[in-house]
Amino acid sequence: MVLLDNSSFILRLEKIANNARNDSSFTVTFKRYDGHDRPEPREGRPPLAKPSTYMCLMRAQCKSKKISTVLRQEDVPTMMAMYSQFMKSKMDGLKRVKKVKSKAKIAKG
Amino acid sequence: MVFVKNWEDFEIAAENMYMANPQNCRYTMKYVHSKGHILLKMTDNVKCVQYKAENMPDLKKIEKITSNLVGHMASKE
Repeated sequence: MVLLDNSSFILRLEKIANNARNDSSFTVTFKRYDGHDRPEPREGRPPLAKPSTYMCLMRAQCKSKKISTVLRQEDVPTMMAMYSQFMKSKMDGLKRVKKVKSKAKIAKG
Repeated sequence: MVFVKNWEDFEIAAENMYMANPQNCRYTMKYVHSKGHILLKMTDNVKCVQYKAENMPDLKKIEKITSNLVGHMASKE
């Protein structure tokens, strides 16, 4: 698992998506992240400090390649803009639905 | 592990599941280009809701729910 910063995560994700295009798939996972990288202490020990703000852990996987990144609250808008751009450009294999002309238009033309 | 047929039902179920247990929930999307679909999944290790998106207009909705959920995940409480 490679921990990357936000923009290089998207770049790597694009590469992964290109590789997965022909015959495989890729997954992207979102999860809340409290910043602790250790397990919950056993009973009788002091518990881990409660974080003041939560973050979002974003992971991607294709076959055995795994990458991840941590989103902080202030990075969310820029990251989501980049991610939706990514979705539009890479997840383009879905069926296109023809727009049905509304009755008014048909009557006009 | 059943696929929800209706998008609205999935959206509500996924958000409710996340709100009930934010610490253990994860939201996954899997894209299979050769089959032309996106699988969405929300699980808290006990229950699981899934949705299969096959049409282009679904992408917009997926974008919306994703940014919504990420907004919830990276927040103060």
